[in-house]
Amino acid sequence: MYGEKVFNDAVADIHHLPFLLFIEIFGIFLPLLFHSVYGIFISAEAKVNVFNYNYARNWLYVFQRVTGVFLFFFILFHILHFRFGLFGSFGLTDTPVAGNADKAFAIVAGDFQSVGILIFYILGVAATAWHLGYGMFLFAVDWGMIIGEKAQKIALYACALVAFCLFAAGTNAAFSFVRPCGLMPEALCGMEKQEKKVENPEPLAPRRF
Amino acid sequence: MTAKIEGLKTKKKVLENPPQTIQIKIQRRERPDKSSYWETFEISYRRNLNVISALMEIRKNPVTKDGKKTTPPVWDMSCLEQVCGICTMVINGRVRQACSALIDDLLIESGSNVITLQPMSKFPNIRDLKVDRSRMFEHLKQVKAWIELDGTHDLGPGPRMSNDEALQRYAYSRCMTCGCCLEACPQYHDNNYIGPQAIAQARLFNMHPTGRMNMQERLEGLMGEDGITNCGNAQNCVKVCPKNIPLTKAIYETNRDITLNVLFGWLKK
Repeated sequence: MYGEKVFNDAVADIHHLPFLLFIEIFGIFLPLLFHSVYGIFISAEAKVNVFNYNYARNWLYVFQRVTGVFLFFFILFHILHFRFGLFGSFGLTDTPVAGNADKAFAIVAGDFQSVGILIFYILGVAATAWHLGYGMFLFAVDWGMIIGEKAQKIALYACALVAFCLFAAGTNAAFSFVRPCGLMPEALCGMEKQEKKVENPEPLAPRRF
Repeated sequence: MTAKIEGLKTKKKVLENPPQTIQIKIQRRERPDKSSYWETFEISYRRNLNVISALMEIRKNPVTKDGKKTTPPVWDMSCLEQVCGICTMVINGRVRQACSALIDDLLIESGSNVITLQPMSKFPNIRDLKVDRSRMFEHLKQVKAWIELDGTHDLGPGPRMSNDEALQRYAYSRCMTCGCCLEACPQYHDNNYIGPQAIAQARLFNMHPTGRMNMQERLEGLMGEDGITNCGNAQNCVKVCPKNIPLTKAIYETNRDITLNVLFGWLKK
């Protein structure tokens, strides 16, 4: 929501991380691959029975698996497209964001002109936010941290709130590529933008030094 | 505790216009190696029928709705007061005890005069509505659901237990091994998961001051490939349990014991 330059600078900052390929492989790709493949394997074994046993937690159980399978495809597309520049033939760009930090905003904004892609991304953000929120809840429950009925209820609401905030922020970010300032009134961002411009005279100097 | 017991009282609705006849649709099977088939029977309605007495009516004259003479349906029953758990079957798609399933309630629930009866799907089907639930006994052996009391001499009185702990244990001790929790669990199939029933019994004996001495062995019984990790948190077990056992609480408390055991247990070795 701060505009093109801030986004491109952020992408450039990521590019300047040391050992980036190592972080990508061991910090992102391998854990993600394990989680998704194992998750799909587990989901395939589930005997879904929400129609006979119509309980909220049973629906959440199913929903966690449904969002998981959807996210497998969503994240696969996301990585292949924006990291590796595939799917250029579908009317989308074939320039990956990775390695093109100066064009990052333009690449994403160009693809988001397609309503289908925008909706796909908003669904993806929604599924990710919920999968994470409920996943945090399940983590606390499965490790025996939150045990009682009442404690679980409060924790579930808290995690739902986290999920909703992430969903709102993510949707706003997605809209920021097609409309200045995303979903917020433009007046809110105008000032911020100008401030940022003065603040960052040398964008490529890595901030951490 | 009191809240749980109050939960047992249900609002009683009365069936206003009972139908003349009711149809009982039964999923039958002759032998374990034969495939299953459906048969529908029609009996005349009377007040205060339950599923068992309806089945008894059918047994008196085993003729299907279409007039075909057939064998009397087979089912298990014993106590007829929801204490033994053996008459558990899937009634109108939901697992419960046949003895406490009143026909009037079922007719109100479904809004039709057809009642479907199926054997539990997660256990080997022997014949008609009868299943083999011996694997639940194997699960109890796996978690050593007993207290070791061995000695040729008088061991003296056991350690004392707080009233609160005794009440919690009482809730777990009500389990009648009926299998409802396993039937409703979306994670349990082909005996791949030890299930809530055995976990709650492990908890029952882990909470006992003497039983606690063998806690390590019980936890090990729950840490295998079919162990507690297979719980998917759908929480159907606690919803369907006819004894209102806090099964999920048992699972989560055991989760805590196992987490601590896994994280710090190896540091003791």
